[in-house]
Amino acid sequence: MSILELRHIGKTYGEKENQVNALQDISLQVEEGEFAAIVGTSGSGKSTLLNLMGGLDNPTKGEIFIKNREIGSLSRKELTIFRRRNIGFVFQNYSLMPVLNVYDNVALPVTFDRGKHINRKYIEELLRELGIWEKRRKYPNELSGGQQQRVAIARALVNKPHLLLCDEPTGNLDSATTIEVMGLLKASCRKYQQTILMVTHNEAIAQTCDRVIHIEDGRIVTGKRRFPEKGGDEEC
Amino acid sequence: MLKLAWKYMRYYKNQTLAIFASIILTASLLSGISSLIYSSQKNDLANSKTIYGDWHYYAETDKETYESVQSGEQGDGYLLERCGKMEIRDVIAEEFLICFIHTDEAYRQMAHRDLLKGVLPEKEDEIAADGFVLSNLGFSGDLGDSLRIGGKDYTVTGILKSEWDASSGEMEVFVSDSFTGRGSQTFLYLGFDEEEKLYRQLDAFLREYEIPSDAVVNNEEVTRYLGGEEPAGIYETIKFGLTEEEGNFTYIVLKLQSDYNLAYNGMVFLLCLFSLFVVYSVFSISVSKRTSEYGILKTLGVGEGQIGGTLILELWTMFLAGYPLGCFLGNGILSLVYQKFSGVFGGKGAGVTEKSLSVADQTLAEGVSEVRFCLSWDAMIFGFAFLMVSLGFVALMVVRSLRKQSLKEVMSGDTSFTKRRKIYALRPVNMAGVVVRKFMFSNKRKVIGILLSLSVGGCIFLCTTYMAENLKIHAELSLKSDDGLGSEYRVSLKSNSLGDTIPEAAADKIKNMPGTERVYATKFTFGEVTRIEELEWDSFFDDQNTDDYFVSRYGGICLPQEDGTYKIKYDVYGYEDELLGQLDEFVLEGGIDPETLKTGNKIIAVANMDGQGNYYFYGRRPGDTITLRVPKMDHYTDELLKFQSGEENYIEKEFEIAAIVSRPLAREEGFLQEGFYKDALMPGLIMTNEQMKENFGIVDYSFINASPAKDAVTEEVSNQILQAIRDVPKAVLVDYSAAIKTQKNYLRQQQIFFSSIAVILFVISLFHIANSMNHTILVRRREYGIIRAMGITDIGFYKMILQTGILYGVLADVVICLVYNLVLRRVMNYYMAHILQFLHIQAGVPNRVLFGIMALNVAIAVAAVIIPAWKLARENIISEIHNF
Repeated sequence: MSILELRHIGKTYGEKENQVNALQDISLQVEEGEFAAIVGTSGSGKSTLLNLMGGLDNPTKGEIFIKNREIGSLSRKELTIFRRRNIGFVFQNYSLMPVLNVYDNVALPVTFDRGKHINRKYIEELLRELGIWEKRRKYPNELSGGQQQRVAIARALVNKPHLLLCDEPTGNLDSATTIEVMGLLKASCRKYQQTILMVTHNEAIAQTCDRVIHIEDGRIVTGKRRFPEKGGDEEC
Repeated sequence: MLKLAWKYMRYYKNQTLAIFASIILTASLLSGISSLIYSSQKNDLANSKTIYGDWHYYAETDKETYESVQSGEQGDGYLLERCGKMEIRDVIAEEFLICFIHTDEAYRQMAHRDLLKGVLPEKEDEIAADGFVLSNLGFSGDLGDSLRIGGKDYTVTGILKSEWDASSGEMEVFVSDSFTGRGSQTFLYLGFDEEEKLYRQLDAFLREYEIPSDAVVNNEEVTRYLGGEEPAGIYETIKFGLTEEEGNFTYIVLKLQSDYNLAYNGMVFLLCLFSLFVVYSVFSISVSKRTSEYGILKTLGVGEGQIGGTLILELWTMFLAGYPLGCFLGNGILSLVYQKFSGVFGGKGAGVTEKSLSVADQTLAEGVSEVRFCLSWDAMIFGFAFLMVSLGFVALMVVRSLRKQSLKEVMSGDTSFTKRRKIYALRPVNMAGVVVRKFMFSNKRKVIGILLSLSVGGCIFLCTTYMAENLKIHAELSLKSDDGLGSEYRVSLKSNSLGDTIPEAAADKIKNMPGTERVYATKFTFGEVTRIEELEWDSFFDDQNTDDYFVSRYGGICLPQEDGTYKIKYDVYGYEDELLGQLDEFVLEGGIDPETLKTGNKIIAVANMDGQGNYYFYGRRPGDTITLRVPKMDHYTDELLKFQSGEENYIEKEFEIAAIVSRPLAREEGFLQEGFYKDALMPGLIMTNEQMKENFGIVDYSFINASPAKDAVTEEVSNQILQAIRDVPKAVLVDYSAAIKTQKNYLRQQQIFFSSIAVILFVISLFHIANSMNHTILVRRREYGIIRAMGITDIGFYKMILQTGILYGVLADVVICLVYNLVLRRVMNYYMAHILQFLHIQAGVPNRVLFGIMALNVAIAVAAVIIPAWKLARENIISEIHNF
């Protein structure tokens, strides 16, 4: 079952002679439980694509369906709530709140749903799973890069999103930590039945994923399906 | 460097505009307010010159010197710009003390005795005088008519402007040169070059003409604005204030004020500091937005000197452009406002002087005849130099702060906050609220800095309003307590003998006139308080005890006795009940109830006040008693005023003190309020008119204060009063109606100025608040971006921001309240009580102003955060997250 579908997506920045086509006619389907990597060189449009998928930016053309809902038709508020409940983000720079400790950073997105009960057991489980339970009272600047990225992953998973979007999650990490973080992502993908889309420029890391989507000059150029029985993109 | 500075200025347009605006605003404030104070002082000087005469000193000289000194004379060390000559040819002490004087034109100009009507006398039997003198001498009002003075008839040829101080003991009649009297006393009125030190010029002048310095009288009300006496050194003043027993902080302030114009110079300096604070604050916020770029420049090998140079050039370029513009705007706007106020006085002088002769005193109405706006170049130049140098230091301080931060630190965000290990999410909690509080309070030093800077404007506004409110009360009380100005008309006796009184019948006539209301007839006698055990201030009466007049007439004021006690001369007043009621506002201790005074035969004491606004009454309080002796009137002679005659000539009574007050209302003239002490606060006791009769047998009155009824024509009323006192020997009427109007306008003008200053400061402060709050939001744009990416809705985001604004506003209000009530108000109370010597500091800031300021603070803080929040909400979340 397709959790994410992109139909003829285009994204253009600037106007007139300064116009840049960041993405052109991208169509893509991602199945539930899939761990896909989007690979491309710097400026190829991979991060732009990820941001559009996450509703953090709006496409100039085309439609994006997540769980069969076209996110362009949602109001700002509906989109925000939809994103909060269905999509988790992991950024290259971790994007943690420097004034909150590990535990509060992770719990933060849950509290935005007014009246929503914080499942503290789940948070503990997540933090233990990610190996940062002991660090729960620490502040981001007291943690290593790998530990900060684990916190970011925990925060992304706390709302039990169906889709996890990771923008170069290992970009700031050394190779040993990169392997650790990739292992954690994969494990969580399996354990929580989540779909993960990860942007990276590192081909080797991408090869560890179920599927690799190559993007060049704003267009998808190739892709490999590891889960043919569950569907895939038409171009591949 | 200049190119780089220019590029930065152009690239960061908003920040550049903010700094430029802050420079323009502060320059406007600095130059405008300095000019305002300068103009105000100039106008005070002009006012004093109108009232006290446009001369600096006068000296009694011999005839030869009198003839030889000329206006425009330049000697070794002095320039005598103007020299007025006045010669007393004769004096008559019959009924009134009348001086026949011959003067030159320069004197008449300097003393504001211009000819209003007719011509100056030319023949021996011709005279000219002012309306006050003529009307009180019974002149018909038609020029050419004759007037009998001292048994001789004179033809009145001209009417001159009255003296401001028309109630003085002497009346001046101007005569021609051909008038020969019984003697000659010659006086030179000196007006030196005001651009040079007056005291030095006087010394040089006295040296040249060998005039003894004790023959010179200083026109202090005028020369105090011009440095009429040699100032003491600042170091000596402070040293004396701190080390000597007589000295204290108040002494230092008062001395610096009198010698160095502390109010003006101090204000200029404070405004410079305030300006620097605002510009520094805006600039440091601006620089903080590009700290990382300077970090990058450093990593590229650009030296700190070059970065500092860029910053200095940036600041100085804006300062050179903004400062003159700000001065132009500040002075321009305030001069327009100032000129608008001059309309308050428009046509006043001309309208009054054209009146036909009546008792109405014409000069009294003049006061501030012209309201001129003067540019304070000194302050502008000082401000320019001070800010130019200070801004250089500011740039260096910013570079220094950059040195402390490495690029890595800059990029890793704010890590300087206090790290509490508490986990908030373990309990049900609004994490958005936690984040807001964390953002605000994580760094205590920063939050204190922000709150203090947010409170500055509010505090200044409250202080200025507090001062303005109390100034209003003080001025109103002063008008009431300064004899005459509380009421439009004052009937008094040109006499200093207790034997001269205004009969009850005349007082009743005035009371029953349809054109008068609030007629207060006051009884007066002179007394001696005995058995005073202690004088808290030993030297308080020293000057009065050595005053020739007081010694010869009263045998001194405060006389120590063999038993160690003191006898002190006192003015004793009998007030009407209604007037006693008005004393309530001046009560220091106790209470005033006319009925209690009568039934308990109690008395009200006027406290002594020292030069620093402290009051005392020999350690006695309401409930204590005093013993008062007054002369019997049966065989009264002035000799009895020495209180050295036989006991049979005096009545001695003991009174319980009901209340102690700071001022009497209606005051005598000619007894203790005489000469140098005319306007001073002299010892006084007050009781009811009935008590005066019962205790001392005093039936008649000594002076009457009255006001015109609502729709009465003032000139008619004054003529009616004159008719009523026509048969009362030595009784004169002074009409203060125009003077009161002038004073009230002057007060209104002062209040508007105060309020203008407060508003300008507040506007600048609001600008600063807006800028600071904007910064507090924008500096967290990355964090807010993260929160938005985490899924906070726009409404939730705005609520969060709103919470920040409200919290800052409310906290700033709390800081304002605390700082204002615990510190500033106390300092102001001290300043007003001891330095400015306000009568009773009763007025607080009106509640509507207080709550208005607080609400405005919150509103501004909210508006200041919502605007950047609105911008942030429209920004792309990803670009915000990646924004370092």
